[in-house]
Amino acid sequence: MSVKILVVDDEENLRFLYERELLDEGYEIILARDGRECLDMVEQHAPDLIILDIRMPRMDGLEAIGKIIEINKHIPIIINSAYSTYKDDFMSWAADAYVVKSYDLDSLKSTIRDVLEKKHLKK
Amino acid sequence: MKKILAMILAGGKGERLHPLTRDRAKPSVPFGGAYRIIDFTISNCINSDIRKVYILTQYKSLSLDRHIQRAWNALNGRFGEFVYIIHAQQRVNENWYKGTADAIYQNFYTLQQEKPDLVMVLSGDHIYKMDYREMVEQHIKKKADLTIATMEMDKQFSKDFGIVQISKTGQVKGFQEKPIKPVTIPGKPDSILINMGIYIFNTDVLVKRLIENARKPDSQHDFGKNVIPSMLKTDRVFAYSFNDKQTSQSGYWRDVGTIEAYYDANMDLLEENPQSNLFDNNWPIFTSEKQSAQAKVCGFEQKDGQLYGVMLDSIISRGCLINRAHIEHSILSPNIRVGQYSVIQDSILLDNVTIGKNCKIKRAIIDKGVIVSDGTEIGFNPKKDAQKGTISDTGIVVIPKNTVF
Repeated sequence: MSVKILVVDDEENLRFLYERELLDEGYEIILARDGRECLDMVEQHAPDLIILDIRMPRMDGLEAIGKIIEINKHIPIIINSAYSTYKDDFMSWAADAYVVKSYDLDSLKSTIRDVLEKKHLKK
Repeated sequence: MKKILAMILAGGKGERLHPLTRDRAKPSVPFGGAYRIIDFTISNCINSDIRKVYILTQYKSLSLDRHIQRAWNALNGRFGEFVYIIHAQQRVNENWYKGTADAIYQNFYTLQQEKPDLVMVLSGDHIYKMDYREMVEQHIKKKADLTIATMEMDKQFSKDFGIVQISKTGQVKGFQEKPIKPVTIPGKPDSILINMGIYIFNTDVLVKRLIENARKPDSQHDFGKNVIPSMLKTDRVFAYSFNDKQTSQSGYWRDVGTIEAYYDANMDLLEENPQSNLFDNNWPIFTSEKQSAQAKVCGFEQKDGQLYGVMLDSIISRGCLINRAHIEHSILSPNIRVGQYSVIQDSILLDNVTIGKNCKIKRAIIDKGVIVSDGTEIGFNPKKDAQKGTISDTGIVVIPKNTVF
């Protein structure tokens, strides 16, 4: 069974980019445009991992983290933000990893592998 | 100097203090005449130069809110000093606080705003006087991640407390929650070290451990039960021992969580030289001050072998008028009226209680605003008392707020 990843980002182009690249890696991809859509998707589709942008309209990533954990305490979360400054925000510490956005997705991809591996080890 | 933020947990329901907690949160229950229970912890903070104080509430907080407004808005926010109440805000998720640890976790935003180096986690329902600066000093000296205040106690009380086991250097090695067979202090087979529920955390460690705890599905999200036991494996956890400096005995500390404990801690104040001395200019306990006439005891008379117009071994607050009555070994809060030939013994009367003439009251706690009509007896006939109020396990009668009879 393939791993289902929820990508949360308000930029359509980026969602498209992540979807295409991560599909190539063999993951199943579902998408959300902001924190609120993210919570709906977590409830309805039970993803195996979340890639979460921070600056988004309606509900930002930091607010979403607390609520995601409330729905599913085990779900791994990778923060994927254009800014590194949110590392100082305590809520961001609840994520399993923090990746600063770049158009080269190698770092994100290897982080996904690491986080999934750790999750398997825990089981 | 380290930047320290105090967070006082005031969110418990206080069910074992019912009916005193029927209309108010436990920290807001009046104590020792003019005080509220929480005044002790806040005064400790102020006296220890910790002047950033948040109080976390969730149940029945109106009374507490009002008290904090009246008594504690004396600090100047412009200079970063404050005593503020934070009600449960459902900021992180849509739940009420699930435990002591969850209360702090849900207030990450506040921690974020202040960014202290150290967080003191305190409880709003303990009666004690403690200089937190010594504990902070030890915390820094030991390079601890967490320091827990502890005190020695006889092992027979183990089932009421969290028990701490320490190494020779004071590092905490084990934790038992309310054990029947506790681990005793090495070399003192009859003594145990109890967790007083007073913690100093390095902020970053606190945040990390609270997040880990929030992601544990079967946790009760409690510091004593969950967070601290699991920290023993990962962090430097030390015990601070709370001693009275004059006697080098254990200091005075009471968790007034039950009617009995509340009653006893009040009565302790009536001793000639109580450990919980309220007349200590070096460690004042502050509270709100309202205007009223001074207390007055009048109408001395001897009748049928009883002295009236006298007060013995008692605390009497401002605004009380005791006319030709006999008060013995009792605590009278502000603005109480006691009528002629009434006898009050071993009792605690809270604000604005009116006792009529020829009443007899013994071993009772009478909540605010109660009006007792002439000739009433309380504390002599359990059957009759049960109709008026609640009777505790040891027979203390508690009359709920605003009862009229």
